[in-house]
Amino acid sequence: MRQQRFMRERKPFALAAALVLCIANIAAIAQTLDRTKVPPPGPAPMLRVPTWTRTQLANGATLIVSERHNLPLVSFAITFVGGSNQFEAAGKRGVAAMTVSMMTEGTTTKSGDQLSDALQLLGTNVNAGISGEEGTVSFVSTAKNFEPTLALVSDMMLNSTFPAEALERLRGRTLVSLTQAKDQPVVIGQQVFSKILYGDAHPYGQRTTETSVKGITRDDVVAFQKAYFQPGRAIITVVGDITAVKAKAAVEKGLAAWAKSGDKASFDYPKLPELQPAKIYLVDKPGAAQSVFNIGLPGPPRNTPDYFALQVLNTILGGQFQSRLNANLREQKGYSYGVNSSFGYGKGPGAFRAGGSIFTAKTDAALTEFMKELKGIVSERPITDEELKTAKESLIQGLPQRFASVSAISQAITTLTVQGLPDDYYQTYAKNVSAVTKEDLLRVAKQYIDLNHLAIVIVGDRSLVEGPLKALGVAPITYIDLDGNPAGGSAPSSN
Amino acid sequence: MINRRTVLSAMALMLTISLFLPALGQKKSSASDSIKLPFETYKLPNGLTVILSEDHTTPTVAVDVWYHVGSKNEMPGRTGFAHLFEHVMFTGSGHVPYGLHDKLTEGVGGGNNGSTTNDRTNYYETIPANYLESALWLESDRMGFLLDKLDIAKLNAQRDIVKNERRQSYDNQPYGRVSEIFSAAMYPKEHPYSWPVIGSMTDLSAASEEDVKAFFRIYYAPNNATLAVVGDFNPKQAKEWIQKYFSDLPQGKPVQRPNVPLGKLAASKRLVYEDRVQIPRLYIQWPTVGFKHDDDYALSVMSSILSGSRTARLTKALVYDSQAASQVGAFANSAENIGVFQVTVIPRPEHTLTELEGAVDQVIQKFLTEGPTAEELQKAKAGLELNFLRGLESNLGKANQLINGAVFYDNPGQFSTDYQKTLAVTAADVKRVANQYLSRSRIVLSVVPKGKRDQASKATESEAVSLVVGNGGGK
Repeated sequence: MRQQRFMRERKPFALAAALVLCIANIAAIAQTLDRTKVPPPGPAPMLRVPTWTRTQLANGATLIVSERHNLPLVSFAITFVGGSNQFEAAGKRGVAAMTVSMMTEGTTTKSGDQLSDALQLLGTNVNAGISGEEGTVSFVSTAKNFEPTLALVSDMMLNSTFPAEALERLRGRTLVSLTQAKDQPVVIGQQVFSKILYGDAHPYGQRTTETSVKGITRDDVVAFQKAYFQPGRAIITVVGDITAVKAKAAVEKGLAAWAKSGDKASFDYPKLPELQPAKIYLVDKPGAAQSVFNIGLPGPPRNTPDYFALQVLNTILGGQFQSRLNANLREQKGYSYGVNSSFGYGKGPGAFRAGGSIFTAKTDAALTEFMKELKGIVSERPITDEELKTAKESLIQGLPQRFASVSAISQAITTLTVQGLPDDYYQTYAKNVSAVTKEDLLRVAKQYIDLNHLAIVIVGDRSLVEGPLKALGVAPITYIDLDGNPAGGSAPSSN
Repeated sequence: MINRRTVLSAMALMLTISLFLPALGQKKSSASDSIKLPFETYKLPNGLTVILSEDHTTPTVAVDVWYHVGSKNEMPGRTGFAHLFEHVMFTGSGHVPYGLHDKLTEGVGGGNNGSTTNDRTNYYETIPANYLESALWLESDRMGFLLDKLDIAKLNAQRDIVKNERRQSYDNQPYGRVSEIFSAAMYPKEHPYSWPVIGSMTDLSAASEEDVKAFFRIYYAPNNATLAVVGDFNPKQAKEWIQKYFSDLPQGKPVQRPNVPLGKLAASKRLVYEDRVQIPRLYIQWPTVGFKHDDDYALSVMSSILSGSRTARLTKALVYDSQAASQVGAFANSAENIGVFQVTVIPRPEHTLTELEGAVDQVIQKFLTEGPTAEELQKAKAGLELNFLRGLESNLGKANQLINGAVFYDNPGQFSTDYQKTLAVTAADVKRVANQYLSRSRIVLSVVPKGKRDQASKATESEAVSLVVGNGGGK
């Protein structure tokens, strides 16, 4: 592959550059083709945002339906607002994931094997998961298998029996996964970075550990299921080859036993730990071929008024292949296969993060370049008109991609309700992006990329990178173990 | 051997594939008439195959170009070229300055990427519908004029990036070197599938500018390429642009296809590799056949009978019943000329790889004797229609589907044949391929923590693999 996937927020169409190239005589042109001329774009296509209906069901859930009849497919999703950060106790991290897995282990009328076989015969995969701030139970089925699949989903969500022996099996497998994660420098980097930024007392800094997994009981799982899967905080989204009327009838029938309960989750997070002066946190991974970088600090929530400016800013800094960070560290310097940056947003202070995997021998040189680019965007290298224009166009013209499949549409629509965004969000997106000025960018860069308080987390071979990093003198070095705890400043233990 | 693709009439040939599938056994057909993907295909006089497929659902287009060249066309000692080339192809060409390719794709809300396998290399752009012409211009320029602007500095820059890709995707990944250990063990040294697609650090360092240019001249010509345009476009306009930008590119020499023998082991091998991991893993691999062989359909059905769901045979026995394994997987992997069937097992603590190898063999032995049940067969096929339909949601997915058929079968509509043949697989077919391929000589590889060679399956009979952990110098 030439590149890794770049994560990016995308946008709608509104740039009017309507240069229509008129090709009169192809044969004649072919004779005298001037290949140095860049073909201009045609008129920008009209933005077609899918329409949808939104209703309130008797049990308190919100139902959203969007029809799309090009293929006989239906996407179904129940999204729960609020996630493990709101519903797991600090000492019971992992209970959400365990509960979701346990929902496949059997119901009052079907064993786990019978459930699995029934889904296999329908050819449908059901996905369920709970992340920090939301949970989903979802599937995409053929139109004809929509109702039978929904019946199975409903059974799993409402009638699971949570057999104790299944919990032990699941616990054993989860512990193996946690051990394997410790062999993954990229995973270690993410975990340590979160812990340094948010600390143990903040849900953003907590994670599932061996200790928490060992402490989860069947009672915990049953209690979590009861407390979490409530219609009062659920958004049910149906998109595809089904009418709004039929979708509502099918959902009301399929989830008839789901009684009214539950409220919207509240997202009160504790105060952040005090910001520390910029520091390098070095995690020793003897023999690592690369050093994994995560540089950043807590950032703004999704509802920040600076959202559009930050999206444009990040597109220029590190949201794309051609962004400043990747253009420099990968394309010019050859230190990496790819580096990037992002804002985490969320209901709380999601992190600003820049990073990537760096050839061990270039760890110090890469840190110099990361810092140069961060200083650049904050002050030393002003954003050009060209950069601003390209970033805006890229964001605006990427919007149609968000409506390219039934599951993509489901996500694009649902997120408006989850994040409290207006219904005309996509129609007004271009206007909002276009309104961002260079002054806005400079202001948000200075505000959110606080160079004096960056946490610089590096996972790599200490015996090779410690000396060069010290010599560089960008920031003092602290030694951290794989779990993010202080490892002491003594010489690294031999492998 | 000369490319044996039939030359189609220069006139567009309109094809619509629509399957009305036969009933499956006694059960009523689970497939609908929804397995359709209309397309049009033709060939330019210089040999470029063109495929067009309209879909106006979203105002976007995918432009996809495949060259029928992969790592198997490389020479021993010069491995990694096809993939290195994939990178070089994005660094500008005769009339396209460096950076413009990204600007006209990513910079207008689209994307681009490429990929390389043993058999082929692909390049694509996904773009707003109004940028189709510039995407065709970009692809034509690098097909015709790449070497005009290729120098050693550009080559070196991409070489360093590819080395980083190797470090990131293989060397710094736990268990990341398993596939290259198998390739080297499964085939004789000069066999075209015996080296990894990404190449070795030493070979990447050794590639000269002239080596790379010679490789391009042989394989990157219109007669070795297929172009697909899928999405929201006007076909008349698209054909005019394709004519405009591609028709004057010169045809290359006929491409020689290597004569590649199937993998075959004279005797089973047992290997052990020490990695920077805490939990050992067991891998078993049997040589099978390439994807053009009809047995590939039954092998693929067999893989989902053995693993993937909780009631699949290996999963049920090892993960649920005995609980000796944390995870198990069975995969039928095939390429144009060769294939392998692989089983992977991650143990639970207190269970040895030796024990797990025995457990895998027990399940497989039983399966060889009894074959699959009617319900197992039905479950394995039930998801095919949904997968197909979901593939139709993406312009790029459709483009790849159509090109794959054109490149390897001279038939962009091959997907429908594949679909029908998979549905037609019988219990007897699966039982036969199970017996034919899974009782062959095989390779058993244990990956164990450093210094823990005794954790290998049948450790005393296993031979240690040592790999060069080349950092490849770098700058």
